[in-house]
Amino acid sequence: MNMELSIWRQCDRKQVIMRMAPLCLLFVFATSLSPAQAAPEGGAASAIRALEHEWAEGQSSRDNRALDLIFDNALVYVEYGRLVTKGDYLSRIKVAEPSASQIVMEVTTVRMFGDTAITVGTYYEKGISGNKAHPKRWRFVDTWVFKRGRWILVAAAAAPLTNS
Amino acid sequence: MRTLILAALLAYAGPLAGQAQRTPDSGSKIVALENVWNQAAQAKDLKALNALLDDAFIYVGPDGKMLTKAEVLADVQASYGIQVSSEDMVVHFHGDTAVITGIYRTRGVDHGKPFVRLDRFVDTWHYQNGGWKSIASLATPLGP
Repeated sequence: MNMELSIWRQCDRKQVIMRMAPLCLLFVFATSLSPAQAAPEGGAASAIRALEHEWAEGQSSRDNRALDLIFDNALVYVEYGRLVTKGDYLSRIKVAEPSASQIVMEVTTVRMFGDTAITVGTYYEKGISGNKAHPKRWRFVDTWVFKRGRWILVAAAAAPLTNS
Repeated sequence: MRTLILAALLAYAGPLAGQAQRTPDSGSKIVALENVWNQAAQAKDLKALNALLDDAFIYVGPDGKMLTKAEVLADVQASYGIQVSSEDMVVHFHGDTAVITGIYRTRGVDHGKPFVRLDRFVDTWHYQNGGWKSIASLATPLGP
């Protein structure tokens, strides 16, 4: 069995972040401005970036209540090519086990479209099996919508960077 | 001829996309636009694609590569013999935003060998200036 694949089937991006925190592994969050076509970034972009952090922190502490507030009930989440519901996602977080995986968030760009925001970024992950690290990079696209006075995550997905 | 057909499809999709609020057939409107998109890509109808994609549109492909709208159009123009269809599409509405998921089935020939690949996609559409525009799209290899 491909151990790297096995690791990826067992955990996802945010779970990996969650597992990193107790291990005091590196977490870097870099930013850049959106292109001219989308609305310029402002307070909303900062708020969304903060929510991306809260997302990671909520999972690091297995705080499903906090995550419940961040995720829309109709959240569409694609992990490893599979479609996962909010319920599936939160249930798995509850039973997640520590892992020796490491992830580094590299770049996140926020593009504003009125009450909708698109975040695009990359992250680097090392799945550990035995004593060997299996590095892999992913690019993600998240969709946030401003609802009832706050930003809520409605969709998230990632694709493997094959030429990195 | 293909351009005329796509123009007719876009004309059909336009009125369909005229309401941002969710209605019983709202999902079919977005699905129709997705199908127009596929056909426009196959027909290399850049005018139709230009109408479907927001200027700030970004695309992330199954290899993780990110493309701007201009790069997508150039990629379509350079493509050859690719057939794309979408399956299992499900639409979620959030005010003037729609998120659609589904599976891309791509058929083509690579170095003389025919291939078929399946990818899961998530597309985000935004209602603006009287019509729907795609603002983001990601495709990733279909999982188990």
